[in-house]
Amino acid sequence: MAAAHENKVKNAKLVLLGDVATGKSSIVLRFVKGQFVEFQESTIGAAFFSQTLALNDETVKFEIWDTAGQERYHSLAPMYYRGAAAAIIVYDITNLATFTRAKKWVQELQSQGNANTVMALAGNKADLVEARKVTAEEAQAYAVENGLFFIETSAKTAINVNEIFCEIAKRFLQAQAQQQQNPNGTIQMDRPATRSTAVSSCCS
Amino acid sequence: MEAILSEKDRAVLIPYYDFDPAKLAGFSPAVPLTIRSIAVFPAPDCQTLIYVGTGGGKLLLFSLNPSLSTSPLTSLDDDSNAHPAVPVVFLRSVTISNRVIEFITVLSEIGRVLLLSDGFLFLVDSLLLRSVRKLGFIKDVTAISTRLVQLGFPNSDPFRDGAVRAELSSPGQTFLKKIGGGIRVNGAGSRLSDLQRGGGSSCFLAVAAGKKLVLIEILLTSNADLDAEHGGISILWTEIQGIGGVKTMAWVGDSIILGTAEGYHLFSVTTGKGSLIFSLPDSSPPLVRYLVRSSNLLLLFDNVGVVSNALGHPVGGSLIFQYVPETITDMHPYVIVARDGRLDLYRKKTGVCVQSFSLPKSSVGPCIVVNDDLGNGNVVVIGTPYKAFCCRKVSVEKQIKELLRKKHFREAIYLVEEFQSEGEMTREMLSFVRAQFGFLLLFELHFEEAVDQFLLSESMDPSEIFLFIMRDPNRWSHLVPRKRYWGLHPPPVPLEQVVDDGLVSIQRAVFLRKAGIVTTTDDEFILNPPSRADLLQSAIENIIRYMLVSREKDLLSPVKEGVDTLLMYLYRALNQVSDMEKLASSQNSCVVEELETLLDDSGHLRTLAFLYASKGMYSKALSIWRVLAKNYSTGFWKDPTASSGDYASDSSADLLSGQRVAAAEASKLLQEISDQTLVLEHLEWIADIDQESAILFLISEKRINQLSPGDVIASIDSKKIEIHQRYLQWLIEDQDSDDMQFHTLYALSLARSTIELVERHSMQDNRLTGKYNKMGVSDVTDQDSLKYNIRERLQLFLQASDLYDPELVLKVVEGSELWLEKAILYRKMGLEEMVLQILALKLEDCEAAEQYCAEIGRSDVYMQLLAMYLDPQDGKEPMFKPAVRLLHNHGESLDPLQLLEKLSPEMPLQLSSDILLRILRARVHHRHQGKIVHDLSSALSVDTQLARLEERSRNVQINDESVCDSCHAHLGTKLFAMYPDDSIVCYKCYRRLGESTSARGHNFKENPIFKPGWLVTR
Repeated sequence: MAAAHENKVKNAKLVLLGDVATGKSSIVLRFVKGQFVEFQESTIGAAFFSQTLALNDETVKFEIWDTAGQERYHSLAPMYYRGAAAAIIVYDITNLATFTRAKKWVQELQSQGNANTVMALAGNKADLVEARKVTAEEAQAYAVENGLFFIETSAKTAINVNEIFCEIAKRFLQAQAQQQQNPNGTIQMDRPATRSTAVSSCCS
Repeated sequence: MEAILSEKDRAVLIPYYDFDPAKLAGFSPAVPLTIRSIAVFPAPDCQTLIYVGTGGGKLLLFSLNPSLSTSPLTSLDDDSNAHPAVPVVFLRSVTISNRVIEFITVLSEIGRVLLLSDGFLFLVDSLLLRSVRKLGFIKDVTAISTRLVQLGFPNSDPFRDGAVRAELSSPGQTFLKKIGGGIRVNGAGSRLSDLQRGGGSSCFLAVAAGKKLVLIEILLTSNADLDAEHGGISILWTEIQGIGGVKTMAWVGDSIILGTAEGYHLFSVTTGKGSLIFSLPDSSPPLVRYLVRSSNLLLLFDNVGVVSNALGHPVGGSLIFQYVPETITDMHPYVIVARDGRLDLYRKKTGVCVQSFSLPKSSVGPCIVVNDDLGNGNVVVIGTPYKAFCCRKVSVEKQIKELLRKKHFREAIYLVEEFQSEGEMTREMLSFVRAQFGFLLLFELHFEEAVDQFLLSESMDPSEIFLFIMRDPNRWSHLVPRKRYWGLHPPPVPLEQVVDDGLVSIQRAVFLRKAGIVTTTDDEFILNPPSRADLLQSAIENIIRYMLVSREKDLLSPVKEGVDTLLMYLYRALNQVSDMEKLASSQNSCVVEELETLLDDSGHLRTLAFLYASKGMYSKALSIWRVLAKNYSTGFWKDPTASSGDYASDSSADLLSGQRVAAAEASKLLQEISDQTLVLEHLEWIADIDQESAILFLISEKRINQLSPGDVIASIDSKKIEIHQRYLQWLIEDQDSDDMQFHTLYALSLARSTIELVERHSMQDNRLTGKYNKMGVSDVTDQDSLKYNIRERLQLFLQASDLYDPELVLKVVEGSELWLEKAILYRKMGLEEMVLQILALKLEDCEAAEQYCAEIGRSDVYMQLLAMYLDPQDGKEPMFKPAVRLLHNHGESLDPLQLLEKLSPEMPLQLSSDILLRILRARVHHRHQGKIVHDLSSALSVDTQLARLEERSRNVQINDESVCDSCHAHLGTKLFAMYPDDSIVCYKCYRRLGESTSARGHNFKENPIFKPGWLVTR
């Protein structure tokens, strides 16, 4: 099967953005290696990973840049989100400031980034329900308003980690297909609203 | 992780020589020189040129001879001139200006050195033989970069649109004119023609000066000789205004990456546009370096090295340094970063720090690290204010060797894999190193890992392993390639000895450890000392694994022989009988002489027999099977595959099956052997054990030359009737033999067997009548089926074959009860009467008798049969019933009167009435039958006549247009004729054509016409 798909591998540059200590590296580590480290070191600069994901008869190879959340490295971010096919903006559901920061990232991407970038908002640390400071409804409302795909994740318990990448892969492939059909036209990312509910069918 | 951490053990870069440039150049110690810039250039003549720029504007040239490098760090501090073979020699110096020389680069394409001092650029020839030229058209230079041509990408000509030209043609003359400024759209300047430019070599430079960026092409015009005093150099340049504050830059392909205090910008040479790659925070100094091999760039951000491609897109993760470096140097596959006399090497691909070292404390100060511009030289020069250190890159092999010497196998393997993934090792070297690993691991008793490494080595020859299995010297000793391994492992010895020696060293290590001395021996072995048997088992199993893989490779035939023979050795050592037999019986290259005695001694006779057979040594193989068959009966040989527990209880069954197996194996061999003597020699013992096996090889059609049937028949023991018969049957039925002798022999043999069986059966019948109930019914049916089987065969053969001698057969069956057979024989002999007598009188098989008569087909035979029925002789009563039956069936050729005459006058009417009635009824029946046939025939005749009449009385209409179908003349009132196929012709044509062929060409004689109405329907 794999051999038959080889010719359909599509590369997708993906960048993770978000405040410091929201769990960007942990999400990537969970997705790429299936691991979780309790005391993940703070990322410096940016770390690079790649991971392929098979969806039906197509394969997406994610080239993932996990950026540093520290403010000092903020100026590096444009280099990573420039030309990215997808971006995951991560906040910590137990920390309202990180959600505010996430909104700033969304704004920056909307104004500076590529219009075709598939954007996902991830409310990480979903396992820490008791310490929750940002409600899912609030985030969902914001996401709908800004045409983002929203999901709450937990790198620690692996909840929705694969799902978020799968959904991104799906949207990426759809965008690509639309682009091929309509090379000059613009792509409306938020058009098929029904899709946002049908998550995780491809990953288990 | 362990491997990565212990990589700190590695020494990739070794400082081996340091020198004080001022001292070496013989300058007075009163005027100290400070090193401010260095360039290294590997000259074509194996010398490496080192250029040192000083704080006072001097350029010093040294030559380094890397081959003279002494390994320990030597110093020139004392008696430098007394040392005869110093690697660094001062060549000459030149004064450039009275300010600091900030930057030196060698423009190898044009053989010039470019210097930056006091904001001006200077050009000087590479050996500092000629005077220095100042490029006066540009000032306030802050950064310089040569262009790195990007392989596989378009590298466009930056001067496409026009540039300013200056010619440096005579000493003292500064650049002439400056026509226009900035980028000129239409090449109005004195642009050189492509022809002129193409003639010589050139190089491109980007220079940041003040608030502009200047792209410069320096070229040697084609007519200019490099060594000429006033060699013609043309300089083209183009200026881009509005770019200021550049502190560092790199030009790759069509992109120039500019580093300013604010951040990094990308300037495209093709579009002339700039864009921000990323901005820098305060206090993060910009530093750009190109990574030559990948054509990528390293952009410094604090202590982070961000790798980007020429388009400003990120490539891989960031390199994280332990400090903000002063200098970064590319030395593929590493980058060297340095600050304050401390150096660290990072692997570009993984970002792992592989080596750190510090320079002597006295040298601490600003630090410059230089490799040649292409980043692949093996010499790195480190400059501190007063001293320069020459470092050598340790070759990949040496790095691995060092790890192996320390027995850090896993780290070494990791390193090799790393080198392999980066393509730093040739395949040959990789194979060599893998084999080397394997040997070391083998002697360390890690057999599985050793074989894994052997298998990964493409150049490893299986013969290198032979000496571990068979002591030197042996048959294959001369095959072992003389490879110059690194001498880290002892010469090969048999595995037992490897294990013993290994165990001794483990014991020694245990002892030493108790005494507090650390050894390199594997901890695992020290903590859990392995048993000798386990080790040996593992060793042999793994070498078997290697041999099995090697077998599949394309090897020289002597090596193939070695592999297979030694594989057998190893199987034998583990007593893997089924594998041994599988190897021996399959296609193999075993050397029999090497294994004969060995297998014989250890009792692996079956394997030996298979081996002989596979090598075509059939006689020997058969002898073994014969011996095995014999020894089975004496209980000598045990089947190792049979479970020992059941052996005693099933010994008789085993014995029988064992013998059978031996016979079957021998038979298998004999089936293909054409050597008649050999075949017949083994016939007897095989036949004694299993007749079926004997038959199989006698009737085999696999052999090339068939055996002589006469000899075979002569050799078959007369008591082995089954073999005899089956062989003859095969000759006759399958080989279509027409030899009368064989047919007769077969018939005789079958006849004898049948008689014997019939007699035995009748005897049994007699005996059984009394005690029938005591015997199983199945036994009786078996006996019967056997009897009928043979008898049937006899009858069929007697009937089918015409080639046997019936008289001889008859002699055999004469006295027996085989009447049907006799009938067949008589029939063959043409004795009709005898046949009829047997059929009609002896067997009373009227049907067969009548059938026989019908076959003969003459009426007199029926008469003869009738006569026989009516007068059976020997005092028998006439057989009226068959006679009447005969009359009824074949009455037309028989006279009923004869029957009537035979009826005895004394016969009571009651008895005879039945016969008479049947006779009369038969007569009446015959008469009626005849009448019916007659009447049916007359009906047919009438029908036919009617049809003829109808056909003749057909009407046909002729009009004016009717024409003759033959001559096409109008018929008019002429006489005409019509054929049965309805074609009409004039009378003339009718006469001409005749009656039998119509005008349409239908020939009624050859192809009669039938119409539906003519057929008799009743």
